[in-house]
Amino acid sequence: MIEILTVGALTTVQDLGRLGALRWGVGTAGAMDPMALAAGNLLLGNERGSAAIEVQVYPFRVRFTHDGAFAVTGADCAATLDGLPVLPWSAHRVRAGQELAFSVPQAGGRWRASRAYLCLPGGVDVPEVLHSRSTQLRGAFGGFEGRPLRRGDVLRSAASGAEFIASDIGLLPPALAMPLERDGCTAIRALPAAEYGRFTSASCVGFWRNEWKVTPHSDRYGFRLAGEALQRAAPMEMRSHGIVPGVVQVPPDGQPIVQMRDAQPSGGYPKFATVIEADLWRLGQAPIGSRVRFIETTWDEALAAQAELEAWLVEAERLVGLHRNSRGTA
Amino acid sequence: MTDPTLDWTQQISGWLAGTDIELLELRGPGTRLRLKRNGSIRSNGSDDTVQNGTAAGSSAQVVRAGSVGVLLHAHPLRREPLVRPGDAVRAGQALALLQLGAVLLAVAAPRDGVVKRLLAAHGSTVGYGTPLVELE
Repeated sequence: MIEILTVGALTTVQDLGRLGALRWGVGTAGAMDPMALAAGNLLLGNERGSAAIEVQVYPFRVRFTHDGAFAVTGADCAATLDGLPVLPWSAHRVRAGQELAFSVPQAGGRWRASRAYLCLPGGVDVPEVLHSRSTQLRGAFGGFEGRPLRRGDVLRSAASGAEFIASDIGLLPPALAMPLERDGCTAIRALPAAEYGRFTSASCVGFWRNEWKVTPHSDRYGFRLAGEALQRAAPMEMRSHGIVPGVVQVPPDGQPIVQMRDAQPSGGYPKFATVIEADLWRLGQAPIGSRVRFIETTWDEALAAQAELEAWLVEAERLVGLHRNSRGTA
Repeated sequence: MTDPTLDWTQQISGWLAGTDIELLELRGPGTRLRLKRNGSIRSNGSDDTVQNGTAAGSSAQVVRAGSVGVLLHAHPLRREPLVRPGDAVRAGQALALLQLGAVLLAVAAPRDGVVKRLLAAHGSTVGYGTPLVELE
């Protein structure tokens, strides 16, 4: 069990998302960086999609009330355990009473990211709602009491972690293993979407050529980007229609909004592009104020990118398992 | 003995002679083969850890690699090294990392101490038992 000692806004329990509920108007929610969530779980020997704590505002501090284990992944937030450094993307044993602290991710590292994950043995033990433990903020259900975490909250892990033996093991972050940059910016692959052809040809070129700034109005619901406005070739009025995370909408001001994990399930703005599922974690980690670029891709390349992530996770799971087994036979 | 793995030991020993690898261990279901550089061959051993060698009559201690891997003095996400000579470290603190593919294994300080020397280069491939860090 852990007790929350210090917590900022919108720290939530998330898993890989509530898939299959859009038909009831329920959005997917889930970790903004599903690769980090899965990696943290693999390090602990959990199921990949076990629930974890997503931190996006710092500092964040918890106290462990029992002996056990934990893993930290995502943004490098210079974590410490009772003041001693904890390496990013690693798993550790912990004793009752120890305090784990995250501080603001520093800009000087080799990967600028914004969200950190704390994984616990067996996952955070909260009830499953519609087949997921993710916090659905709009509907106020799922996760921990359907709300962000507060100081004093006590969360259980589904397993004790007492049998955890692979301490001091870590993973090379996928952002370094599979980097994607263009002209010094994080690059995100996307497909042209339904109304792409109804924008001016200059805008269709500019979207892929220009940099886009992640504005402060970017959160789990959507990333509002700022750059050279995307112009419609003719006025467009649309009825509301279904949308999913990754859809790039363009409101009348021409500044695109990328739908993220807490996106509502319908919208009425024209859809210019769709960020491929395999790259949503890259955007989900892009800090406010950073710049991103879009790379036009194809359906086949999008599937290949997803397969590459899957292969990375399978290999990471295999290597972590080998290490755990070799320690286990001692 | 009809264990086919013993037929390979001669060949493997020959290869090892040309390296600075001090100990090679092969494990499979129910079997374990250990080849040590000083010539002794031992199988089905139970010792799983590389003993940290302590120089007689001094407080210096050499921390050795507990695995094969690529030695990293800094975490891949960071520019700053984990430790520098002269740094005071506490027991359990990571002194270096060994990278094996996607996996990073921490080389932990066996006790409190001060880093005296780093004994192997960042980015070098090290073997099981290679001296990595000298603590005093």
